[in-house]
Amino acid sequence: MRTLRVINYDACIGCYTCEEVCRFLHEDRAYIKLYDVYGGLRKPISCFHCYTAPCVYACPTGAMHKDRDGATVVDPRRCIGCTCCIAACPFGIPELTPLGYVTKCDLCSDLRKQGLDPGCVAMCPAKAISWGSMEKVVESIRKRFLAKIMAPTIESVRETG
Amino acid sequence: MRFGFLCKERGGARGRVAIVGAGPAGLAAAGYLACQGYEVDVYDKLPYPGGMMMFVIPSFRIPRDSIVEGVEDLEKRLSVKFVLKTKVFEGDDRHDEGDDFVERRVPLSKLVEEYDVVLITTGTWRSRSMGIEGENALGVVPALEYIYRWWLYEAKLTNEKPFIAKRVVVIGGGLAAIDAAEVALKRGAEEVFLVYRRTIREAPAGEYEIRRLVREGVNWIELAQPKRIVVENNVARGVEFVRMRLGEPDESGRPRPVPIPGSEFVIEADLVVPAIGEEPTPPMKSEVLGIKLDKRGRIVVDHEYRTGNEKVFAAGDVVTGPSMVGRATGSGLRAARAIDRFLRARLRTG
Ligand SMILES: Cc1cc2nc3c(=O)[nH]c(=O)nc-3n(C[C@H](O)[C@H](O)[C@H](O)COP(=O)(O)OP(=O)(O)OC[C@H]3O[C@@H](n4cnc5c(N)ncnc54)[C@H](O)[C@@H]3O)c2cc1C
Ligand code: SF4
Ligand code: SF4
Ligand code: SF4
Repeated sequence: MRTLRVINYDACIGCYTCEEVCRFLHEDRAYIKLYDVYGGLRKPISCFHCYTAPCVYACPTGAMHKDRDGATVVDPRRCIGCTCCIAACPFGIPELTPLGYVTKCDLCSDLRKQGLDPGCVAMCPAKAISWGSMEKVVESIRKRFLAKIMAPTIESVRETG
Repeated sequence: MRFGFLCKERGGARGRVAIVGAGPAGLAAAGYLACQGYEVDVYDKLPYPGGMMMFVIPSFRIPRDSIVEGVEDLEKRLSVKFVLKTKVFEGDDRHDEGDDFVERRVPLSKLVEEYDVVLITTGTWRSRSMGIEGENALGVVPALEYIYRWWLYEAKLTNEKPFIAKRVVVIGGGLAAIDAAEVALKRGAEEVFLVYRRTIREAPAGEYEIRRLVREGVNWIELAQPKRIVVENNVARGVEFVRMRLGEPDESGRPRPVPIPGSEFVIEADLVVPAIGEEPTPPMKSEVLGIKLDKRGRIVVDHEYRTGNEKVFAAGDVVTGPSMVGRATGSGLRAARAIDRFLRARLRTG
């Protein structure tokens, strides 16, 4: 299966729930983080789980790899901390831990194994993070976009009541 | 918001936990503990769970169905019980905002007796007062109350018409000030003034939100501090402000605003909305059952979210002071994990 996780930046209210939940799940380390973009406008960023992931190609030991769902994950036992993945990732996603291996968002492997949704997806109060099969996610984005461009038309029909 | 996101089914832990306050901190803790297997009862004074997310934060930010889905999942799948319209308090009652629906009162000590653990997550349901002349006049309505009344009316939880006004002055620079100004604007005020004592750069709500409101038509006035409410026949007619300049940094690291003598001016208004911050509302007025409060009224806890009473834990904004949904959620989750550890250890040692 090809899985996507997409953040709807229009719906996100910058509340830190995704970051805090991820930190709670991963020994005090958050793999989705908010940054102040402009004067208190805060938005989260996390791994895009790229299909042709430069981090995976750059990794000399195979520690950085794709799992069954298509998530990009690190096997810490094989990671030598060379930071090639950090250099290769266009988005600054992988991080080096003080113990000398790289970590990053694993799309909540543990929860997925139990058939559960990733923490940030399940807990976002604004429903701004969607996750699932490529088909499901792109369909939801297309529908959202259609609702947005048709909003004035729908509104005018409603007004005439 | 799927508070029970950590499990498919309840686990096998045994014990009963009472949670006081169904905001994000309380609900996240309820989800965690119910997943572990505990019997969880959540008490709240309001008619529906969700706290600020349900009754205060505008629904264009947090869609209410997101909260309702999470609450129903807790109830149906994880058998969490909600005891609503119930105020938990120890000692003489204190009036907080949001008390309108209370039908029953339960002493905190009763819960401490009946449950294995009590978690307090009662948030910050009091608007800070400005301490100036005329503050109690008609037409002066704290931000929390102002926003919350509109929401109740629109959700048809009350028939009482909320405060309607032509000229509204909102005082403050935080999220509550922003939301109050936006509510005023959207509910037909002709002129809305948002007045803050420092500059846009120091405003806790941030430059982006303030500029967005200015674009919508709010008048932003910085470097002005209220001196008194102008009152006629016990009705507010406006606010007298004094101009400020920025001085040396204060304890918070931000430049301290200093009044400029003789620079007073009045903004006329028929509604004044102070939004200068919220205060913690623990279910007691002062230290009780070994639970201590600090100078600012917050419940004192250790790194494991324990209060001075072995059976009582606390988390969320009632511990940290006003924060954000995510911070309160994280705090609730960590407190729940600490409670689980505590109960398991107790079970082992008998
Ligand atoms: C106007 C405003 C706008 C905000 N906007 C945002 C935003 O856009 N994004 C963001 O992230 N954060 C925002 N916040 C902050 C956010 O709402 C809080 O940080 C968060 O809700 C705190 O969660 P909590 O669970 O600690 O408490 P709360 O959400 O306050 O919940 C506490 C609960 O306890 C109940 N309670 C209180 N006392 C008692 C009692 N004695 N007995 C029984 N029940 C009791 C209350 O009814 C309430 O349901 C905003 C806050 C305000 C005031
Ligand atoms: S939890 Fe959702 S709304 Fe909150 S910061 Fe994360 S993506 Fe944005
Ligand atoms: S770490 Fe960077 S390169 Fe690798 S999958 Fe994530 S976003 Fe793509
Ligand atoms: S999917 Fe899981 S690991 Fe990745 S950012 Fe979300 S909570 Fe963190």
